[in-house]
Amino acid sequence: MTDKLFIKTNFDLCTGCEICQMACSTRLLGGCNPHRALLHISHTRENLYHFPTVCNQCSNAYCAKVCPVNAISRDTATGAMTVDQDLCVACGLCGRYCPTHMIHVDPDLKKSVKCDLCKGNPQCVKACPTGALELVRVEEKR
Amino acid sequence: MKPNGCMNRILLVDLSRSVSRPVSVPQKLQEDFVGGKGFGAKLLYDLVPQGADPLGPDNVLMFFTGPLTATPAPSMRACVVTKSPLTGLFLDAYFGGRFGPEIKYAGYDGLIITGRAENPVIVSIRDDNIEFIPADDVWGMDALSANAKVKQKLGAEDARVATIGQAGENLVRFSLICCEPNRQAGRGGAGAVMGSKNLKAIAVQGSQLVRVNDPEAFEAACGQALEEIAQSEACEALTQSGTSYAVPWSNAVGTLPVRNHYYSDYDKADRLGDIGQAKHLFLGKAACQGCPIRCSQMGAIRTGKYAHRITDIVEYESAALMGSNLEIDDVRAVAHLVKLCDAYGLDSMSTGGVLAFAFEVIEKGLIIPPPPDLPLKFGSPEGAEWLIRSIALNENEMGSLLGQGVKRASEKIGQGSDAFALHVKGMEIPGFSPRGTPGMGLAYMTADRGACHQRGFMVGFEVGGELYNGKPVDNYGLDQKAEILIEQQNYLSGLDILVKCDFGAFGITAQCYAQLFTAATGREVDASFFNNIGERIWNQIRLFNLREGMDIKDERLPRRFVEEPLTRGPHEGRCISESDMAFMLTDYYRLRGWSPKGRPSNEKQKELGLDPQPQYRFNKEI
Repeated sequence: MTDKLFIKTNFDLCTGCEICQMACSTRLLGGCNPHRALLHISHTRENLYHFPTVCNQCSNAYCAKVCPVNAISRDTATGAMTVDQDLCVACGLCGRYCPTHMIHVDPDLKKSVKCDLCKGNPQCVKACPTGALELVRVEEKR
Repeated sequence: MKPNGCMNRILLVDLSRSVSRPVSVPQKLQEDFVGGKGFGAKLLYDLVPQGADPLGPDNVLMFFTGPLTATPAPSMRACVVTKSPLTGLFLDAYFGGRFGPEIKYAGYDGLIITGRAENPVIVSIRDDNIEFIPADDVWGMDALSANAKVKQKLGAEDARVATIGQAGENLVRFSLICCEPNRQAGRGGAGAVMGSKNLKAIAVQGSQLVRVNDPEAFEAACGQALEEIAQSEACEALTQSGTSYAVPWSNAVGTLPVRNHYYSDYDKADRLGDIGQAKHLFLGKAACQGCPIRCSQMGAIRTGKYAHRITDIVEYESAALMGSNLEIDDVRAVAHLVKLCDAYGLDSMSTGGVLAFAFEVIEKGLIIPPPPDLPLKFGSPEGAEWLIRSIALNENEMGSLLGQGVKRASEKIGQGSDAFALHVKGMEIPGFSPRGTPGMGLAYMTADRGACHQRGFMVGFEVGGELYNGKPVDNYGLDQKAEILIEQQNYLSGLDILVKCDFGAFGITAQCYAQLFTAATGREVDASFFNNIGERIWNQIRLFNLREGMDIKDERLPRRFVEEPLTRGPHEGRCISESDMAFMLTDYYRLRGWSPKGRPSNEKQKELGLDPQPQYRFNKEI
């Protein structure tokens, strides 16, 4: 039996500070820019609401289904869908069909990038000062 | 080149010719002035011709970030620097949020905007793609609607947009620049400068990365800064209720302005403070980018006449100047009035001061009031709303008179109305009434942009229990005030190269800022660095202000604080006399190394490496 990890978003606690996105972009790219992070926050109604969106690590993952080279598969250790950078041809099909825009071709890396749950220790969750991002462990049923 | 936390480029934009060009930040400019306020101080001196009309094409409108803006270093901001149409002097106005960082993500440490567009325009900056987009369909809109409209026009929900409202278009001398909702470069009329340039909005979208010199050391320094914020009681109070908690506090220590600063205590303070706001407004918390403090308490007016307006916290300054100072005690009404200011693009601090002045001169019969059915008097939200609208839209004679600020308005009214015009050098007095805190009075007298509470918060030492060199400070005494104030002015100006937020600085120590700075830039500094560079900046600005004709006779408090002792409250019987002012100011000039006329001596200028000749002109031709 494997445990599956998820990031649960608590929008009611999100302040829109983007510290999660700063941590994510720094880990991924070695520099900071929230727009380049692998999670998104939409700030709406004059900043009254902040909605973080993270990768759903779908059971029925369109990104993996559309990938022409089968570069996207589940990491059995974490349950995250991950991109094999050696296989990825940066065609961008995954991003075109992801319903939440959680995968895209990075302009510098020139490969598809998405949340891999930082191999089980997500930096965004660690950095969030309010508990708006929470790491949840789900026991997978046999 | 190893990363240094900066983008090392500034974007020059000439609106007259619709052209732009990035320039490298000169190495010596970076060494001497670093960023933020430092760049602003030097470049305003160098780029603005002496005597330039603040609302003419020769004035420059500059946005600067610092080496820590847009990094994970907690609680950083950005600033606008220009020549103020309110004071005719140096103006720096700070804003948090997400607009400042976006400038760096687009690849620039700052924007320098010159000239004047022939027709209303939006400048769109998408990394190296700069576009000048006609703004005819946005001109006339309020600042918040314009923000949404610009994003819609660009098809870019994630763009970060700075706009002006109608007040900026109408050249109201205390109009602001709205840097995304709830974050404003508020004081001193930067909005009018933008309006005078026919610039309705600046939209920025950036895809660049901000990199630091030593990532490992930087992460450690950020951890330390977060820890210091977590340990700070003041930061904790701001997390809980933002600056609203300061309303009952200021009332208790006798600094809360009431009736145009006639009194400094208010029996209804709780209604305007954290208790009243939590009951009527607050819903959740919002933060500027990278800030764990999250001082914004977002909410809505839920009940009553003004129901269903979204509102940020009514900040202390707004609660004091638009609330108690106007004797309006319904916090929902105050929230409504402040929101009107935000939308029209008016500085709610100066607006509160202007409205209080108007109510008082009308009460005294010095100006003819408009139609008698309008209750233009203290305690009337309806009267306040009418005046705000009149000013912002320049709708009538009263509006255009008051839109000049209290100094110019009182000069036009005459009849001794200057007694009720509470300002220093044209800038309306902030929400800490100073008669019981002479050091705060000195801070207003000497602040670089006119009456400002953020250049040295002496109230903290005088009635807030803050220690100086481990010892309590004598509240009414005059002896140490100049010394403490100078230290504060230097240090805080030094931190504004980063650009710090005042609230982060409640928790983060100088040592920790030095660690963050060193790790980000690769330049080894210790805690004294900020004091030293702050002194350079302060003197540089002084040279600008003197060059632009600042008269040291104006380095004084308004008559009310000098001639009218308080008639009640904790500081009953107190005022700051002519001789008190003279004593403190003499001490201040001497300790600053300035002549008795308030001019930095040649030795002081030399010591600080200040060049009286402009050095950076960036070949004015773009």
